Amino acid sequence: METVLKVVGVTKKYNNGRGIFDINLDVRRGDIFGFLGPNGAGKTTAMKIMTGLMSADSGDVEIFGHSITKEFEKAMRKVGCIIETAESYTYLSAYENLKLFSRFYDDVDNNRIDEVLELTGILKYKKEKVKNFSLGMKQRLGIAAAILSRPELVILDEPLNGLDVQGMIEIRKLIKLLAETEKTTFFISSHLIHDVELTCDRIGILYNGRLVNVDSKENILKNYASLENYYVSEVGKNGNI
Amino acid sequence: MGTFKAAVINEIIKIYKKKKVIVAVIISLFAIVMGQLMVTVVNTGFGLRAVSGTQFPILVLSLFSRTILPFFTTLVVIDVFSGEFSHNTMKITMTRPITRIKLFTAKVSAVAFFVLVNLIIVMLLSMLAGILFNSDSITEMGVFRVLLAYIVTLIPVVAFALIIVFLANIFKSGTTVFFISVIIFIAFNAITIAFPRYSSLFITSMFDWHSLWNVNTFQISKILREFFIILGCAIMFYTAGYYLFDKRDL
Repeated sequence: METVLKVVGVTKKYNNGRGIFDINLDVRRGDIFGFLGPNGAGKTTAMKIMTGLMSADSGDVEIFGHSITKEFEKAMRKVGCIIETAESYTYLSAYENLKLFSRFYDDVDNNRIDEVLELTGILKYKKEKVKNFSLGMKQRLGIAAAILSRPELVILDEPLNGLDVQGMIEIRKLIKLLAETEKTTFFISSHLIHDVELTCDRIGILYNGRLVNVDSKENILKNYASLENYYVSEVGKNGNI
Repeated sequence: MGTFKAAVINEIIKIYKKKKVIVAVIISLFAIVMGQLMVTVVNTGFGLRAVSGTQFPILVLSLFSRTILPFFTTLVVIDVFSGEFSHNTMKITMTRPITRIKLFTAKVSAVAFFVLVNLIIVMLLSMLAGILFNSDSITEMGVFRVLLAYIVTLIPVVAFALIIVFLANIFKSGTTVFFISVIIFIAFNAITIAFPRYSSLFITSMFDWHSLWNVNTFQISKILREFFIILGCAIMFYTAGYYLFDKRDL
């Protein structure tokens, strides 16, 4: 199976001594990869490095075989992402925001913009300025922006933040649908074990900046009653729970 | 569409949507109207011809390029750089398939386009005012000189904008960038007045570069000298600004 995201020896250390250390992982096409870890584990740092928002002290990231540092445009052409928070231009409407993003891609037209707004449940708000949106609506717009270009890899940092129960269910369904029908690969970070268990099929645990383990959900649940038990066990081996 | 072209269009749309262009045009229009009223009062009240129809736009340019234009250019640069960093919206474009050099250049190009549009609008409005109130003194050569004067003013103003871009990539706060820009602007002007021998080293003294073009005989050597000083300044601050932009972690 093709490796779409390859992280090799990535290390980033902040002045306060925290960061991520020697992260190595492969994500294969069609995976819904869950990046699980507590607050401050380094999930967002890793994702920022993967998407070029931050430079690593050492190591590299390859997306579809293209290095983020040397071939950024080629690497990011088929990637959609939400990193840290779902941001948009508040003085523009939802439609105008997506129209701005669509210009970077050749195959995104106005119909596609309406399609993603429909998929994320905010089509009826398309002409409203984003400054009037609730947190959940902004999150949905962020997801719409992430999938706008029909990306083959979607990197989502805490995508269910701010969503109501219905919204969480819808977005989970959307992720699974895109993974099944369009073979879209997802790399999702979360600190919510239950969400990861429901959505992802491969799970990596990040703790204190180190990748503790990576395994498939199927294997995990053969040996543990729940993902939470597995998490406690793996993190406990590192001496902190 | 090429990613660079897409980024330039997006940046121009964002600048337009933030309404600063409209405010700049309104203030410029007000200044032109007030100026023309004063000229008309002098013309009709004292029987003098203060300025001709084509001199009025040049007079407006001299004032506009030293006050309103640098002020609004500074505000737009702060919006385009510091504003996006502080509102966390810079990452929206940085996670699209566009390199940082293209994105940086697109933002600078959008600022230059803003300056050009401002200059053209003020030129047209002031020429209209000049024609309406003093149409008998309009000549083709005069119109050409006005056009040339406004177009060449773009160059030193963009070089000044690149200094602000550099500052906007050093300081995180847009307010800090604004106040330091004001201090630098005042300081450069003060030094230019106090030490006129060294005035050509400061970009703010080049805002009236158009006066070198508005003559019957061009002083080619002086024009070229000032052009290369402006160019050197622009290259230096473009490079420094890009270096900081590229190294920045979000």
